[in-house]
Amino acid sequence: MTVLRPSDDQLTRFGLNPAWSRQVTFEGADGEPVTWNILDTGHGDQGTIVCVHGNPTWSYLWRNLSRDLSPQWRVIAVDQTGMGFSQRGPRRTLAQRITELVTFCETEVNGPLILAAHDWGGAIALGATPSLPVTRLILSNTAVGLPDGVAMPPLIGIARTFVGLVCRWTLGFVQGTALMTEREHRRALRAPYRGWRRRRAVADFVADIPIHPRDVSYDALRQVADSLKSSDTPALLVWGGRDVVFHDGFLTDLESRLSHVDVERLADCAHLAPLDKHFSNIVQRWLDTDITPRPAISDAPLAHPIYSVIDDHVDDPSPVFIDSHGALSWQQLASRRAVAARALRARGIGPGDRVAILVKPSGNLLVTVAALWAVGAVPVVADSTGGIRQLRNLLRAAAPVAVIGTSRTLLIDRLCRLTTRTTRLCIYGRHSITRGPALARDQFVALTENQLAAIVHTSGSTGPAKAVTYTHGALVAQRDLFDSWLPRDKGGAFTTSFAPFMLLAPALERLCLLPAIPFDKPERMTMSHLETLSRHAPLEVAWFSPAAARNLVATSSGRRVPLAHTFLAGAAIDSELAASLAELTGGSVAAPYGMTECLPVSDGVNVVADTRGGTATGRPLPGCSVVIAPLDDPPGRCVDGEWGEILVSAPWMFSEYRNHWLENATSTITREGQRFHRTGDVGYLSEGELFYLGRRIHVITTSSGPVASVAVEEAIRRDTSLITAAVGVGPTGTQVVVVVVAGHGKLQLATADVAAAARAASPVPLAAVLTGEFPVDHRHHSKIDRVLLARQSEELLLGR
Amino acid sequence: MKVLVTGATSLLGRHVTGLLLARGDDVTTFQRGESGLATREVRADIRDLDALLAAAKGRDAVIHVAALVAPRPRWEDAFAINVGGTRHARLAAETCGRFVHISSPSVAFDGRGHIGQGTKPASYTGSDRYTRSKALAEQLVLDQPRVPTVVIRPHLVWGPSDTQLVGRIIERAKKGQLRLPNHGVALIDTTYITDAAAAIVAGLDAANESSPAINRAWTVTGNDPRPLAELVNGILQAAGISSPVKHIDGKLALSVGALIQKVWWGDEPPLTRFAAQQLSLAHTFDQRDTQVALQWMPTVSTQEGLRRLHAVLPLAK
Repeated sequence: MTVLRPSDDQLTRFGLNPAWSRQVTFEGADGEPVTWNILDTGHGDQGTIVCVHGNPTWSYLWRNLSRDLSPQWRVIAVDQTGMGFSQRGPRRTLAQRITELVTFCETEVNGPLILAAHDWGGAIALGATPSLPVTRLILSNTAVGLPDGVAMPPLIGIARTFVGLVCRWTLGFVQGTALMTEREHRRALRAPYRGWRRRRAVADFVADIPIHPRDVSYDALRQVADSLKSSDTPALLVWGGRDVVFHDGFLTDLESRLSHVDVERLADCAHLAPLDKHFSNIVQRWLDTDITPRPAISDAPLAHPIYSVIDDHVDDPSPVFIDSHGALSWQQLASRRAVAARALRARGIGPGDRVAILVKPSGNLLVTVAALWAVGAVPVVADSTGGIRQLRNLLRAAAPVAVIGTSRTLLIDRLCRLTTRTTRLCIYGRHSITRGPALARDQFVALTENQLAAIVHTSGSTGPAKAVTYTHGALVAQRDLFDSWLPRDKGGAFTTSFAPFMLLAPALERLCLLPAIPFDKPERMTMSHLETLSRHAPLEVAWFSPAAARNLVATSSGRRVPLAHTFLAGAAIDSELAASLAELTGGSVAAPYGMTECLPVSDGVNVVADTRGGTATGRPLPGCSVVIAPLDDPPGRCVDGEWGEILVSAPWMFSEYRNHWLENATSTITREGQRFHRTGDVGYLSEGELFYLGRRIHVITTSSGPVASVAVEEAIRRDTSLITAAVGVGPTGTQVVVVVVAGHGKLQLATADVAAAARAASPVPLAAVLTGEFPVDHRHHSKIDRVLLARQSEELLLGR
Repeated sequence: MKVLVTGATSLLGRHVTGLLLARGDDVTTFQRGESGLATREVRADIRDLDALLAAAKGRDAVIHVAALVAPRPRWEDAFAINVGGTRHARLAAETCGRFVHISSPSVAFDGRGHIGQGTKPASYTGSDRYTRSKALAEQLVLDQPRVPTVVIRPHLVWGPSDTQLVGRIIERAKKGQLRLPNHGVALIDTTYITDAAAAIVAGLDAANESSPAINRAWTVTGNDPRPLAELVNGILQAAGISSPVKHIDGKLALSVGALIQKVWWGDEPPLTRFAAQQLSLAHTFDQRDTQVALQWMPTVSTQEGLRRLHAVLPLAK
C-alpha cells in the first residue's frame, strides 16, 4: 500500500508547519508494519500531548493546539491507520486501534504523557490509557457508550445503515462533518478523503461502531467503559454544545463515569470543538493549573432545609400566596407538594436530577419548586427576558432530564425545541402532576448542605448569561440571613417586582403578594398595584428593581402605602430615589450591593456619599467578607479608600458556574483558605463601608491612569443633578472620558450649557459631553449597557 | 547650543526661537521677511541652497519650520518650497550634526477618522497639494538620516495671533460663511502654540545618538480633545462673536468640496474635499510613547488655551 504524503504547500495552506509533518513506521495490530503520518512539534520539556482524531477527521483537527500551545509542551497529532494521510490498510477494529495507539506512544514518547481525543478517538484513547503512563486526559465530544435512556443519534443510524453510500462512495459523511465548523477549515478537513479509494477506513470506522452485543467491537467498548471505574486520571472535557451527534447527554454520561472532570462547554460550538478558537487557550490554562484532589467536604444533613417551614403549616388554611388569579393556602401548598413529589418520583426523578421550570410566577411555581426539593431534584430557572434563543441556549446547556410547565409553555417547549430528550410534565389542568396520591412525608429526601439546590442564570447584561449553581447549604444561609435581618413578628406580607424573589417568601414564613404586572416588565409597577396588594394584608417586606421603584415614585401622586422594609436590587441606585421611596412607604429603604452569584453582600443602609464618589452600598453583612484587590494584582489588597476589584465571600454564595471551568478558574481566588468570588465590579472600602464604582470592564483607561465610570457620574450628579453615564472612547490605555447625559433619541452633542456644567463638576477632564437615550438591560431595565454606549459614542465622535 | 531656525516669521517659528533664546541658546533665524526677533537673522529664500548652507555654517543644529502653508498652492511652488526646501535643510543639517524637521499629522491621513491613533509613516498621496508635499518632505528626511534627526508633527497648532486656525475661523464667522459638517461632532485634538514650541525644543534636545526619539516622526498634541463644534464655539466666544454656527451635512460637504476643488481657479477656495474630510472626521492621537520619548508634556489644557485667547483677542463689536 502506498502512503500518501501531504505536500509542504498543502500543509502551509492549511496553516500547518511543514516541519511538523513526518512519518513513523511501527508494527501494526495485524503484525504487518504500518506507516502513520503525524504532526509533531518536536519540543517540550513539560511533557507530550498525543492527539487522537475521530472519524472522519485527521491530525489537522489539532492545528490550533499544535500552533498555540506554549513550546513547553510537545504536541503529536496522529493520523490513524487508513485515516488522514496515513497508510491505507485492512479494516481495523476498536481493539486493534487501541493496540496501535499504545504501540505508537511506547515507541515515540518518553516522559509524561497526556492524551487528547475527539469523537470516536475518545474511546481509543480511553482504551489505551490503562496501558500507558497517562497523567491527564483532554476529551472533546466523545463517548464510551450510549448513556441510559438515550437513543442512538439518528445521524449515526443513517450513516451505519447506508454506510457504503454515505461514507465511501460519496463525500457525504466527510462533507457533513466539515460543515460542522467554520468555512476556513473545510477544505483541509476534506483533503485526505478525496476519491473513494481513500475513504475506505471512513466507512469501516462507522461500521465498527458497536451498537448491538453481536457487533465486533461491542465487548471492547464495554471494557473501555468498565476500565474508567478504576481510573483516577484527571480529565478536561471541552465540549461543543451544538453537536447533534455527541450531544449533552453524552457529556453528562462521561461526567458520571470519570472521577475528576473539569468541563468547559462551548455553547456556540458544534461537533469539532478542537477547532474552536478558544480551545487552545482553555487547554493551556488547564495544563498550567495544578490538579488538587477535591477535598472530601463533610456533607452534613440540614436540620432546617429551605422549605422545612411548610411542614409546620400542613393544616394551616391561611394563604401563603396571593396574585390576581387567586390564593394558595399553606395547606394546599403542603398537600400539592406531596402529590407532585410522588408524581415526580414515579417518573424516576430523584436527587441531583436537573428539571427545567417553565412555570410563570404563580402559586404553581411555589408548588413545583417545593415538590422538586422534596425529591432532591434541582430546579433550573431561566427567564425568557433575554429572548427565546437565549432561553433555549440556557436550558439546553443545563441538559435537564425533565421539564415542568403548563400546557401552553410545554407546547412552546416542544415547538421551539427549548429542551430535547426530556420528560414533559404539566403542573396545571387535567394531567397535572398535582392530581393523584401523595408521597408520605417520611419519603421526602433528606437534604444535605452540599447538595445541589438550584441552577439560576446571570442576566447576560454584563457578559454572556452563565449558569450559576447553588447548594442547599447556601440557600439556608441566605434564608437565615434575612430571618435575622427582618423583624421576628411574621405577620406582614412580602411582595416583589422581581419574580424569582417570591420563592424566598415561604422560606421566611411570610405571605407573598404578587403584583399583576408582566414579570419581565418591572417598570410597569405602579402605586395602584401596591395599593391593591395592601388590601389583602399589610405589606412589610418588598424587593423591587430600581425600574419598579422609579415608576412607583413617578405614579404615587401623593398616595402612600406603609411598607416597613424595602430592598432595591438589580442595579446601583441614587440616594434621591431611596429618599423618595422612604417617604412614600414610611419605612426603611435599603439598596444592598450584590449579584446573582452572591446576594446580598452589603446591608445597603444608605450613608452620606463619600467625596471620592461612587455609590454608597452600606456595610458588608455579618458573615460576608469583602476585600478590595488591585486591578492588576488580584491576590493583593488595597488599603482603605483605594479602589480596585471587589472580592466577596459569604456562606450564601453560589458554588460554581456550571460547565465553565475557565470562568471558575479565573473568577475564584482562595485567600487564607477562604474562597472568594471576583465580582468583576470595582469599588472601595472606606471606614468599613463599601462604595461601588461600576463594572471592571467599564473602567476607563486614560493615559493618566484608570478612571472608574461611577466616580465621574456620581460627582456630576451631586453637583448638577444630571443623570449621566461615563464611558471610555479610544484604544485601551489611551482612552478619553466621554459623558452621556440621559436624554431622548439618538446620541448627539449636548448643549453648551449642559456641557459646561458637566465639565465643571467632573473630577477628570471630559473629551465630549453627549446626550441621548441609554441602552439598558432586559431583565431589570436598569443597568446601562455602557459597552454598547461607548461604542455608539465612539462611532458618533469618529465622524463620517 | 547654536541653532539655525528656518521660517521664523511663522507663528511656530517665532515661538520656537523665543523659547530657545529664553533658555540661552544662540539662535540664527533664516527667512525671507523681517522676523522682528532680537537675534541674528539671515533673510533669504529656502530655495536658495547656498544661502542656507552659509547660514548653517558653525551651527550645531537646524530646526526646519519653513513651509508653504496654503489651502491650494500651485504644485510647482509646494514642491519647490516644501520638498526642495526640506532637501536643502537636510543638507545644511548634515554639516551641523542635528536636524529637527517640522511635519504635519495629515501626512499619514488615510481618509478615515481615528481616535487614539499611533504615529504612522507618511503615506498621503491624495489630492491636497500641501499635504502631499509635506509627506514627500518627511519621507526625504527619514530616508537614511546621516545625523540624528527628529521629526515633529504638531497637530492643529493654535493660539493668540494665529492666522491659520483661529484667524480663519473668526474671519469666516464674521462673514457668516462658517459651516460645520455633521454639527461639528468629530473629536479633534489640538496643540496650544506654547506646547507645540516646547515639543519642538524637546525634539532638538532628543536629537542625539542615545535618544530613543531619533530617526522617526512624533505626532504631538495637547492630548485634551474636544468635538469640533465646542472648539469653534470656544474660539468664537473668546473673540466675542455670538453669531450661531451653521451646519452642513457631512456627505454634502464632501461633494461640495470635491466640486469646488475641480472648478475653483483661485488659491483660496472656500472648501476643498480634503478640508471637508479633515473637519468631519475625528483626529486624536496616542501620546503615551511620544511623551516618554521626547520627555515632554503639554501644559496648557484646551480650556486654559481658550482663556488665554480671550485675554488677548480684541473683542468683536
